[in-house]
Amino acid sequence: MRSVYIHIPFCKSICSYCDFCKMIYSESWADTYLDELSVEIDNYYENDEVGTIYIGGGTPSSLNNSQLIKLFDIIKSKFNLNHLKEFTFEMNVNDINNELCNILKSNGINRVSVGVESFDEFNLKFLNRKHNKKEIINNIKLLKSYGFNINVDLIYALPTESFSTFKSDLNQIIKLDVNHISTYSLIIEENTMLYKNNIKSIDEELDYKMYDYVCKKLKSKGYNHYEVSNFSKDGYESIHNLTYWNNNEYYGFGLGASGYINGVRYDNTRSLNKYINHEYRLNEFIVSKKEDMENELILGLRKLSGINVYSFYEKFNENIQDVFNIKDVVKKGLIKLDGNFLKIPEDKIYIMNEIINNIIK
Amino acid sequence: MEQSKIRNFSIIAHIDHGKSTLADRILEKCGAISEREKKDQILDNMDLERERGITIKLNAVELNYKGYTLHLIDTPGHVDFSYEVSRSLAACEGAILVVDATQGIEAQTLANLHLALDNKLKIIPVINKIDLPAADPDKVTKELIDLIGFEKDEIILCSAKTGEGIEELLNAVIERIEPPKSISDKFRALIFDSYFDSYKGIVTLIRVVDGSISVGDKIKMMSNNKVYEVLELGKHTPKEKSLKKLSAGEVGYLSGSIKSIEDVRVGDTICKSGEEVEILPGYKEMKPMVYSGLYPIDSSKYNNLKEALQKLKLNDSSLVFEPETSTALGFGFRCGFLGLLHMEIIEERIEREFNIDLIATSPSVIYEVELTDKSIIYVDSPSKMPEPIRISSIKEPFVLANIFVPSEYVGSVMELCQDKRGIYKSIDYIDQKRVNVTYEIPLSEIVYDFFDKLKSYTKGYASLDYDFIGNKESKLVKMDILLNGDIIDALSIIVHKDFAYKRGKIIVENLKKIIPRQMFSVPIQAAIGSKIIAREDIPAMKKNVLAKCYGGDVSRKRKLLEKQKEGKKRMKQIGSVSIPQEAFLSILSMDEEEKK
Repeated sequence: MRSVYIHIPFCKSICSYCDFCKMIYSESWADTYLDELSVEIDNYYENDEVGTIYIGGGTPSSLNNSQLIKLFDIIKSKFNLNHLKEFTFEMNVNDINNELCNILKSNGINRVSVGVESFDEFNLKFLNRKHNKKEIINNIKLLKSYGFNINVDLIYALPTESFSTFKSDLNQIIKLDVNHISTYSLIIEENTMLYKNNIKSIDEELDYKMYDYVCKKLKSKGYNHYEVSNFSKDGYESIHNLTYWNNNEYYGFGLGASGYINGVRYDNTRSLNKYINHEYRLNEFIVSKKEDMENELILGLRKLSGINVYSFYEKFNENIQDVFNIKDVVKKGLIKLDGNFLKIPEDKIYIMNEIINNIIK
Repeated sequence: MEQSKIRNFSIIAHIDHGKSTLADRILEKCGAISEREKKDQILDNMDLERERGITIKLNAVELNYKGYTLHLIDTPGHVDFSYEVSRSLAACEGAILVVDATQGIEAQTLANLHLALDNKLKIIPVINKIDLPAADPDKVTKELIDLIGFEKDEIILCSAKTGEGIEELLNAVIERIEPPKSISDKFRALIFDSYFDSYKGIVTLIRVVDGSISVGDKIKMMSNNKVYEVLELGKHTPKEKSLKKLSAGEVGYLSGSIKSIEDVRVGDTICKSGEEVEILPGYKEMKPMVYSGLYPIDSSKYNNLKEALQKLKLNDSSLVFEPETSTALGFGFRCGFLGLLHMEIIEERIEREFNIDLIATSPSVIYEVELTDKSIIYVDSPSKMPEPIRISSIKEPFVLANIFVPSEYVGSVMELCQDKRGIYKSIDYIDQKRVNVTYEIPLSEIVYDFFDKLKSYTKGYASLDYDFIGNKESKLVKMDILLNGDIIDALSIIVHKDFAYKRGKIIVENLKKIIPRQMFSVPIQAAIGSKIIAREDIPAMKKNVLAKCYGGDVSRKRKLLEKQKEGKKRMKQIGSVSIPQEAFLSILSMDEEEKK
């Protein structure tokens, strides 16, 4: 069973840190875009069963009601949803209202992901987010009343924030009492406003201190640290995102989306002009067995539970220890074998790139 | 060719005073280059020369002006190459001395002037850049009169940029510079440069002093008695123009199946095989002054590095090298250079033209070590320094440094010289605002960071020139650097005993900044013998992760990992520590730390 990602590249305003494929919302562009999305799905979808759907962006909640209904009509009419387990919709805090919730609920959305990012006025301004603390609290309450599973995103390690602001943000996120939290230390990517304004990342030591604090604090509040940046209550891990980390196949539809189908990884164009002229694909790469095994490792080790060595053998017919330089890093305590699982210890997960570079031959 | 219609001259100047631009303007005035061919600074052939604004290899061009044949011989503009400068000046009867109208006389102006006067050249003083708003030709004129003794009417004002004064200058070349004179009909020529050409082999640039030479003649190099047949003669105009014959007074090139650059020595005399002539004066063997170990980062490129050095040597007889092994760096070469600039240029060319990433160990001078058994050995690398117990004394090379500086900086320059173990010699006021400070300073300090320091102490206003004056005894010790408890032999240096603590401290601090965090914390120590004199710790790496990784991020993550891996490849893996190239040169840089 594959997963489906659908990208909605429109936003009401542009966040200072965002380097995703996005543009300012325009009603007519969005109309055209949805028509085109429908054609793309027709072209590439293989009529197989879909396990999860994730509508992300951009800001999917920037669409108006009739566009939302049109989007769900496309999804329901095209995909085989008999075994759909998780259906996620991404949204901005200030787009949440009864009307939206009703549309989502009636169209089968069972999980929402909300870009909270921070409660602090200055942080929100720095990130160019348009909501405030009060809206967060009220609107999360509203979402809960509809019975959605909720994820909230938190960004920390802003160059402008103090450790106490960071702690306060984390405490307030915990107070929301949702069942999934994603936290990211701020990355200053090229092609973002922050980069252009020459903003620099905070010191590595402080970043780690904050990360360590997040992990311990959330654990003490009953959240499982199941991926580098993701925490959930028991049984509420994101099934969709686990598709990625398990190196399984998924469709990516929409502008700038990526997918992995029939052993081919592809990226879609980021040009709306090309997209509406049916030039969907920017590139396609056939994944070799070696790359596939490396991806299995690179992605799998992001999970705190690690990689099942038997599943690896079943999938590739090779022992993971023979393919990679595992021995040395095990000796150094950078990787451990726990039952059938090869994993990076929690206190080393933050230097996983370095570890992986020591493993891959 | 009628000698009375020939004029041979060079242009000498302090760096950046506009020598190359002036040469271009002269070429243009004589019609040697068309507008279309005009690339800035024609005589600077190598990309590196053009980038660094200095001439490294010489060039000589034939020009025609008002019925006269002019040979313009370019000179390298750096103290490392002063012997080569002196030989190209020896090929001339006159020199244009260029002084920047905004800067006035500098250390190199005088050094070059002295070389020119040693060769009894007629000097034409020229004040250049008079078009600039900051130009002060009156003041510079006064300097030239007071300091060097020119007369006012000798001095030509010009702007190489606008072309003003160039005609007057060319007329002066014809009127004031003596035509060449011969004392005999027997062929005699001076070699002032050589280079490798892939078709012709080794090509020598010569000045015919007496007689003439034709294609097919047999010639002999007088320093080593090697005999060759002349296969080609010619001149650069600046394009190559092949000729049957070169006669007394002319400057041109000669090629003749010469295989090894070592057989062609700058300053040597060429005569016809079987003829007896007197050797031209001034020949010296060139000796390297600065040594450094060059190692390929990728150890499989050892043979490529060897080939690169051999190829560079084809063009550069002053480069010497021999194989060397380091426990830290593996197989490489100990290379000898004329000076720091020469070293930097060779390193850069190896990396750029041959695509070999290098690690260069900190440069060393040659130490004269007297052992307890009274024998003397010469040590060009800290790793070859004997155990202290076997040493009775160590001598190191000293130079006489001439520093030109505005008077307000005299104090800081003296402080710097003192800091660098300098021995005070003299202070001469050129005028009320400028001073010539002379010190004897160990060459190792010059090689270390003297020039950079001098520039920062004087806001770039000081100029420096120096001459080797001999070896003197010093209290020197070998200092080792340990990473993770292991001595890194390639980081060892020789230091003066009284400076060891300070240097050790700065080196470990610098290394801490340069060596990236590893997965574990790494101690850096400086030691003399078994005594640790400084220590810093590199904290363990705390973060190296892609925080976000979803569908589209897989390829991004792979690229990031590959980039990090690539970065690692550019580092040297020593034990469990990855060390970037810069670490090996950081031994050189003192930063601001020193002042604290």
